[in-house]
Amino acid sequence: MRYALSRLLQFLFVFIVVTFVVLAISRIGSDAPARDLAGGAVSQQQIDEVTQRYHLDQPLVVQYAYWLKGFVTFDMGYSYIQSQDVGDMFRQRLPVTLFIGFWATLIGLIIAVPGGVYSAYRRDGWSDKAMSFGSFAMLSLPALVLGVILSYLLSVRFVLFPLIGNYVAPWDDPWQHFRNFFLPSITLGVGLGAIWTRILRTDMIVTLQSDYIMLARAKGMSPRRVLWVHALRGSVLSLLTSVAINIGALIGGAVVVEEIFSLPGVGLRLVESVQTNDLLTLQAIAAAFVVAVVVINFIVDLLYAVVDPRIRHVRALA
Amino acid sequence: MTVTIDLEQAIAEEATTRRRRRRPGSLGAWLGAAWLLLIGGMAVFADYLPFVRGYAQQVPYARNFAVHPGSDFWFGSDQLGRDVFARCIYGARVSLLVAISSILVGLTVGGVLGLAAGYFRGKTDRGVSIVADCLLAFPPVVIAILIVGRLDALSETGFSVLWWHPTRTWSVVIVLSLLSIAPITRIVRAQTLSLSQREFVVAARSIGANRRRILLREILPNLVPAMISVAFTGIAILLVAEGTLAFLGYSVKVPTPTWGYLINESRPKLRDAWWPTIFPCLMLFLTVVSFNLIGDRIARHFDVKEAAL
Repeated sequence: MRYALSRLLQFLFVFIVVTFVVLAISRIGSDAPARDLAGGAVSQQQIDEVTQRYHLDQPLVVQYAYWLKGFVTFDMGYSYIQSQDVGDMFRQRLPVTLFIGFWATLIGLIIAVPGGVYSAYRRDGWSDKAMSFGSFAMLSLPALVLGVILSYLLSVRFVLFPLIGNYVAPWDDPWQHFRNFFLPSITLGVGLGAIWTRILRTDMIVTLQSDYIMLARAKGMSPRRVLWVHALRGSVLSLLTSVAINIGALIGGAVVVEEIFSLPGVGLRLVESVQTNDLLTLQAIAAAFVVAVVVINFIVDLLYAVVDPRIRHVRALA
Repeated sequence: MTVTIDLEQAIAEEATTRRRRRRPGSLGAWLGAAWLLLIGGMAVFADYLPFVRGYAQQVPYARNFAVHPGSDFWFGSDQLGRDVFARCIYGARVSLLVAISSILVGLTVGGVLGLAAGYFRGKTDRGVSIVADCLLAFPPVVIAILIVGRLDALSETGFSVLWWHPTRTWSVVIVLSLLSIAPITRIVRAQTLSLSQREFVVAARSIGANRRRILLREILPNLVPAMISVAFTGIAILLVAEGTLAFLGYSVKVPTPTWGYLINESRPKLRDAWWPTIFPCLMLFLTVVSFNLIGDRIARHFDVKEAAL
């Protein structure tokens, strides 16, 4: 319980600092935030309205408090440049980004779990060598390069997938959903899978040498059960951390693949909003991404304690 | 007597097996080094090499259409009749320069922070760790776009400090350095923590060496192997980051070619001509692989465990 509380405090601190920094950064170079928030050339009356609504006459800290309240309650204001409520924009576009992230993580795990476990089990065998060669190559293959090459091969040369994607929910039309999301997800998933394979392999090699594995084997348990139930459970922790650490990279990757495959997601809107100087959308999206990273890391920290009882009792470690 | 002989023999055997085990990994690193020398050399001396055309130069007979790769245009020409090979070489210049200068800044700042956190511990450590935590919470690409975009707006307002004026190149270097600080700090901190418990540091302290001497003469030199391997892996990561930024349109000012920009530039015409897009992709990939191979090799040579960024 003390563990959870100290994590919670740290989480709140980091949360407040990073969201404040996002707000502060998005004000850099804006000599008249009211004008930028109202969308460029506007009347004095509109500027006054915006000033009133976002409390721009107050110091930045007060503005931040109001903005954070709006952000948390999903009342993020109205973007005059896009003529759209920012909350509605999220409702419309977030599913795209979430699906990319979800499928990419799933593909990564489908590659990494069997790959990592088997390489560790048959360590230094030919399959292990082939797999570490492959994962090293994939690790060095930027999503940008893989995405462009895949889109060239599979949507230009052989027209199997659409070159310009759009959002189709899987429950509306699973086939179209697959066609639109397969390439972006595989682009990100392969890279993640390569990282996780390496981490899982290293961790499993250590786990497989520990006493409780030897005990399980000595009891006559089948190697398969030892490997997939006992050993994997011990290694899930480092995999979990790595999944959390890579959330930031995954979000960045989502921005890139949305651009490559023209998927109308939140990342694509972020790029547009920087170009059009759409401050309101800009700060909302950047904050949403940063908050996603912080929250997921917090959840993983707590999960950690659930999976590994030693962490729950801090003193037991000392 | 026999015991010592056995021991010596065992040590010798151990050494040979270790050497044998290490040998197969080197080929990749040498190939990587060769590639980097080739690309780096061409990028530095591009202006003087007879076979590299100007990157913006239009070749008269290839004006306004894309020529297939061939003996004249090694990598073909793009839609405006410019030599893709030359553009790739000049692109290497910017990409490498930005990545290397950013990693140098990152190593300096991250090194100092990590060293302080790992050696003094206590409050310093807690402070540095929280700063690193906050920095790591920002998704790299997102924060990079945000900062570069805002610095653009800042430079439009005519902002300057003394003679310094924020240009795109500056913003990109600032952002990439900022991104590399937190991971490097973490690695240096972990290394310093374990080094400062080692016998030679305790010995130095016990004969009354002062803090400065311990930090600079005992700990710092032992951090160098890890730092070198981090530098190589870090450059690989920053090259990708720069490529991504350029691809999205947020790297160095537009007419200057960088790999990411080249990839994006001809992408709409991918159906008609694949070469202006695919060759920069290959250049980026091979260069990133090379840096990774060398970094990995150095890490294994010095047995550095936490060198992965």
